[in-house]
Amino acid sequence: MKASRWLKRAGVALFACVLLYPFSGLVAPIGPWRWDAEVARPSMASIRVSLGLTALAMMIVVLAGTPIAVYIARTRLRERLWWQALLLLSILLPPLALGILLSIAFGPAGVAGGWLEHAGIRATNSPAAFVGTQVYVSIGYYVLGAVAAFDSVPVMLEKHAALLGQAPSAVFWKITFPMARLGLAVALSVAWVRALGEFGAVVITSYYPSGMPVQLWINLESFGLPAVMPLLVIFIFTALPFPWVVHFLAQRKPHA
Amino acid sequence: MLEARIRKRRRDLTVDVDLTIEKGGCLALFGASGSGKSTILSCIAGIDQPDDGDVSFDGRRFFPPPMPLHARNVGYLTQDPHLFPHLSVERNISFGLGSGIGVEERAWIDRLRDRLGLSDIWKASASEISGGQARRVSVARMLARRPPLVLLDEPFTGLDRHLVRELIGDLLEWKREIAFSMIVVDHESEILERLCSRVAVLSNGRIVQQATWSEVRAQPVDAELGSLLRPL
Repeated sequence: MKASRWLKRAGVALFACVLLYPFSGLVAPIGPWRWDAEVARPSMASIRVSLGLTALAMMIVVLAGTPIAVYIARTRLRERLWWQALLLLSILLPPLALGILLSIAFGPAGVAGGWLEHAGIRATNSPAAFVGTQVYVSIGYYVLGAVAAFDSVPVMLEKHAALLGQAPSAVFWKITFPMARLGLAVALSVAWVRALGEFGAVVITSYYPSGMPVQLWINLESFGLPAVMPLLVIFIFTALPFPWVVHFLAQRKPHA
Repeated sequence: MLEARIRKRRRDLTVDVDLTIEKGGCLALFGASGSGKSTILSCIAGIDQPDDGDVSFDGRRFFPPPMPLHARNVGYLTQDPHLFPHLSVERNISFGLGSGIGVEERAWIDRLRDRLGLSDIWKASASEISGGQARRVSVARMLARRPPLVLLDEPFTGLDRHLVRELIGDLLEWKREIAFSMIVVDHESEILERLCSRVAVLSNGRIVQQATWSEVRAQPVDAELGSLLRPL
């Protein structure tokens, strides 16, 4: 019995090794890493662009996505299936295809693009384009995750809270939100990783200002692997901690 | 005074009842499983909406149009205590009183705590207490706001006889003190008889007999009721 357990554990450990194997690339003999001014200056700028604009995109995702998720979670099954199918469409669309569609729709040829240009807002190769693209690629993930989080809060608890004299907004902040908060954090962390790591759509709509994924590509094309590695390490360390912490918290509090 | 005329179509039957309860009065709803007792309570509480009819209490119209739940001030207790698992016992009980609890309300909460024996679990999370404790907490939470109308939907199911006896005694004492009107549903006539002197008997969604317990026992309206009232 004990031997069998150790055998299974060894199998899982082998699987973990396979999963972690790509990280061995960080210590591969590819020559000394480059971080001179020519590499560091655009790389640092890309870090600022990625962190600042992705944070802004996440604020928009949360502010717009949360009420939508509340609505979908509390609507009837048939209507909910329609909304979920629509959200899945945004998730399943290949990023490159989404980037091309966005650049056409928000370019001079698109209706919204014409309005934006008239208002003096550049909808391609601008911070607005960067944020807009990130919102498009990540909001579907956030809303679907948030719907699942709100689903985990029994409607009867909300009704009992209301019967205890709490107005709908108070019920949301005192019952619904606290009970769904870890699920919401998981949804946000998935959206964060999705937006921060987006390359296919962003490279079409916003080559400039370059975020980290696009800058990694530029560094690779212009200077080779040694110029990629420092930014790659920073990229990994900015993307991973938030979802990791959220994952562990979610494991500890199963009801949320 | 509670005046309720409720028509509610369910998949298996149509509930069609007229009820009147004097201010501070008490009425037991008794009948076989699936006769529509819980539907009536949930329609009065506002958890569910009647298809037709009207419900008013002390001159305030609950339906139609449906009054928002938070404006009703109804105490509603079911088999499931529906405690808020992320809050402590204390915060569950004071939940309906908002953030600014006055001296008088604090004293009332303390009385409920002591009377229901909740001191030991006062700071515990509601998700960590036993089923019997949760039931007592839900009673305290309901009474904390001193509701003028209390609806009890089999709140004693699954509890020890000892605890049921205690809770019935407490509820009767608080009913005298707060003078709330009360409707009680249970499948045990003995429990209902302890709480209310009058009973409305339901069968297939309709009230078929309304009288005192002694009258109902002496002359049950049909054989089914006679069977329900007979000891095991």
